[in-house]
Amino acid sequence: MTNVAEAAPISGQTQPPARSSLRDVLAQTEIDLRLFGMLVALGLILLIFNILSGGKFFQPTNMVTLAVQASGVAVIATGMVLVIVSRNIDLSVGSLVGLVAMTYALLMTDWLPNILGMNAEFPFRWVIALAIGVILGAGVGALQGFIIAYVGVPSFIVTLGGLLTIRGVIWYLSSGAAVSGLDPGFQLIGGGAQGSVGGTVTWILGVLGCVAVVALLFNSRRQRRRFGFALRPVWAELLLGVIGCVTMLGLAAFANNNFWPKGLAERYAAENHITVPAGGLLIPTGFPNPIILLVGVTLVMAFIATRRKFGRYVYAYGGNPDAAELAGINTRWTILKTYVLMGVLCALAAAIASARLNGATLDVGQSYELYVIAAAVVGGTSFAGGIGSIPGAVLGAFVMQSLAYGLSFMGVNSPGQNVVAGIVLILAVGFDTYNRRRGS
Amino acid sequence: MFNRKLAALAAAAVIGFNACGGGATTAPGGSGAPAGSAAAGGCTVGVSWNNFQQPRWAAHDEPNLKGTVEAGGGKYISADANLVAEQQLTDVDTLISKGAKVLVLLAQSGTAILPALKKASDAGIPVIAYDRLIEDPGVLYITFNNQGVGEAEAKAILTKVPKGNYVLIKGDPGDANASTFLPAGWDAAGLKDKVASGDIKILNGPAGTFTDGWKTEKAQTNMEAIIDKAVADGTKIDAILAENDSTALGVVGALTAKSYGFPPLSGQDGDPANLNNVALGKQYVDVFKQANELGKAAGAAALALCAGTKMADLKLPAGLIAAGVEPTAGLSAQDFKTPGGTTVKSFILQPTPLTADTLKTAIDAGQVTKDALCKDVDPAKAPPACK
Repeated sequence: MTNVAEAAPISGQTQPPARSSLRDVLAQTEIDLRLFGMLVALGLILLIFNILSGGKFFQPTNMVTLAVQASGVAVIATGMVLVIVSRNIDLSVGSLVGLVAMTYALLMTDWLPNILGMNAEFPFRWVIALAIGVILGAGVGALQGFIIAYVGVPSFIVTLGGLLTIRGVIWYLSSGAAVSGLDPGFQLIGGGAQGSVGGTVTWILGVLGCVAVVALLFNSRRQRRRFGFALRPVWAELLLGVIGCVTMLGLAAFANNNFWPKGLAERYAAENHITVPAGGLLIPTGFPNPIILLVGVTLVMAFIATRRKFGRYVYAYGGNPDAAELAGINTRWTILKTYVLMGVLCALAAAIASARLNGATLDVGQSYELYVIAAAVVGGTSFAGGIGSIPGAVLGAFVMQSLAYGLSFMGVNSPGQNVVAGIVLILAVGFDTYNRRRGS
Repeated sequence: MFNRKLAALAAAAVIGFNACGGGATTAPGGSGAPAGSAAAGGCTVGVSWNNFQQPRWAAHDEPNLKGTVEAGGGKYISADANLVAEQQLTDVDTLISKGAKVLVLLAQSGTAILPALKKASDAGIPVIAYDRLIEDPGVLYITFNNQGVGEAEAKAILTKVPKGNYVLIKGDPGDANASTFLPAGWDAAGLKDKVASGDIKILNGPAGTFTDGWKTEKAQTNMEAIIDKAVADGTKIDAILAENDSTALGVVGALTAKSYGFPPLSGQDGDPANLNNVALGKQYVDVFKQANELGKAAGAAALALCAGTKMADLKLPAGLIAAGVEPTAGLSAQDFKTPGGTTVKSFILQPTPLTADTLKTAIDAGQVTKDALCKDVDPAKAPPACK
């Protein structure tokens, strides 16, 4: 097992493995093979379900549902990558999601109105609740991180304790009852027809994404030339730019092909005195809010992981803790910060979960820790430390959720879903390990 | 969670007994002495709770049991075993030495309690097995008809939607309640026959969809996939049978996220959030067990036993228990065959299906406050209980 930090782009073009032409082409474009492989796997899964369902599966509505269902786990998985890379684990994420979700629900239904006198009309009350939840998540994360990094209790034990303790606290907060009825503004975090950005904004985002891809490619080429690094061939740059742009605009078009449900559109039309055309009123939903949130989180986390000192320290520590310590990295402070980050991400995932449910129950977030760790690991994060990528973990979450959703769509019951998920988890990691061993 | 599991276990056991017992034989009519009529002054009723911490017992069962006993001139004493079976044995000893003439036991363990039963019978003290069965031929068993829960759910939905496309949302696949007993109640209410005759089509396979751990979130993601599938197939969901309230809450979440509208939906437990959904028109029926009435029945039976009435001759006073909750077999004690093969006398009360029109029952029973029940309810469309 290699412990070398592998997050830096592989400079494959210096020694192109000339085994197959596809491999050669991919090496020239410097596409991350692991990510590429996962995208292919995800595509295959969707394709298979589409064939099995007679073409009913691969439709905008269904893909939006799938994406929204995966978003909570994917958000946390971006942080779990850093935790696992630094040779730790966090088993408490599910309970922390539950605690923060219950806090949001109680804040908006009980504490804010009854203790602080902010009733439902209070402007942006849900933002205050969200802020309190994020602070709570960060606080719990900091406490666990402190015990792990400074007291030196193994993270497995601390977060296992957290898993039990926090779930118990939720019970005391709610006395076991479900709490429902959140602020309308907050509910939009969960997606749905109204919790989406709409057709126009989706197109704007698609164009922005396209422009960003091109700008990044240009900037990277300029920087490489400036420092005298090897450049990609021009055809590879063009190919990447075209693929990037087509993907961004394609996603926007796809999302805009998802329309408001008929009943809702008709109610909306009646309320706003719009005459419904013969084909029905088609209002595109575009990207749902939780997906926008997930994309934002992924970009920020990937930036932190690969471009900020903190992120590089995490990988350095994971690759070789002693060397990192000797190099003068404040390793304890770094570890503590990974858990604070984790707490914040849990609070965001809790917002998605409780907004989707319009409330919180005792079991919100239960077994998230398993899904999140599975997503990170399927996405190529290694338990040996030092290896793992954030986009990989997000893709991992999508792979796992596409299986669960697809099987659910086909009417396969939960025992069957669990069997498939377990096998895929082992296969994915087994394949990855085999590849790495062959590569080294 | 834990409590729900316990309750589910107990319920599973009980339904199992029903299934084994077949039809209960009818007690000789007319010979029963009305309970409470001959209550001896100074009759002491000893009650042993297994875990008083669980809110239900303190809020609903005890006040009614105590109230009925004291109204009949009796004396109420009690002890709490805090979930410890050994403690409960000591508690029973203490209750007997304090002069209890009748014992009401909510057993922590149906087998560990047996030594206490022996002591009671040696002392000539009749025992009432409250809510949970005790395997002893000498007990009087007072509980709810748990198969009746599934039956009440399906009956309400089938009456509302006699024909159409149904979705079945079940609980944890490892829970016999979810896989066997509640569906048995659905079938008893006529679901099976209507599926066979083609009046009803199950959209999500013949067996429906299970929900790991009865989790609300899981029920929501499952239901979203079912809605997507129905939309893709061009079929309409006309009604949804959900086994309990936590899964029904997830179904409502999915229907909201998909802006699908709210087809008639069932549930059980009487959770305040679900009762609120009933008031909002998002859930059609919520079946719940009125613990108050169980307490009253036990109190009345205890007084009658104290007065020397034989178990076979027991009869609950008319009008004591709310209409609709009384045993279907009438107010006289009935035979009940346990899974252990013994026959005991029993009162099996009925669960109560609550719809928008009957929500007031939940407020009167103290199950939910009016504020919680009517939260966000549009006054123009408010059910009677919210006016």
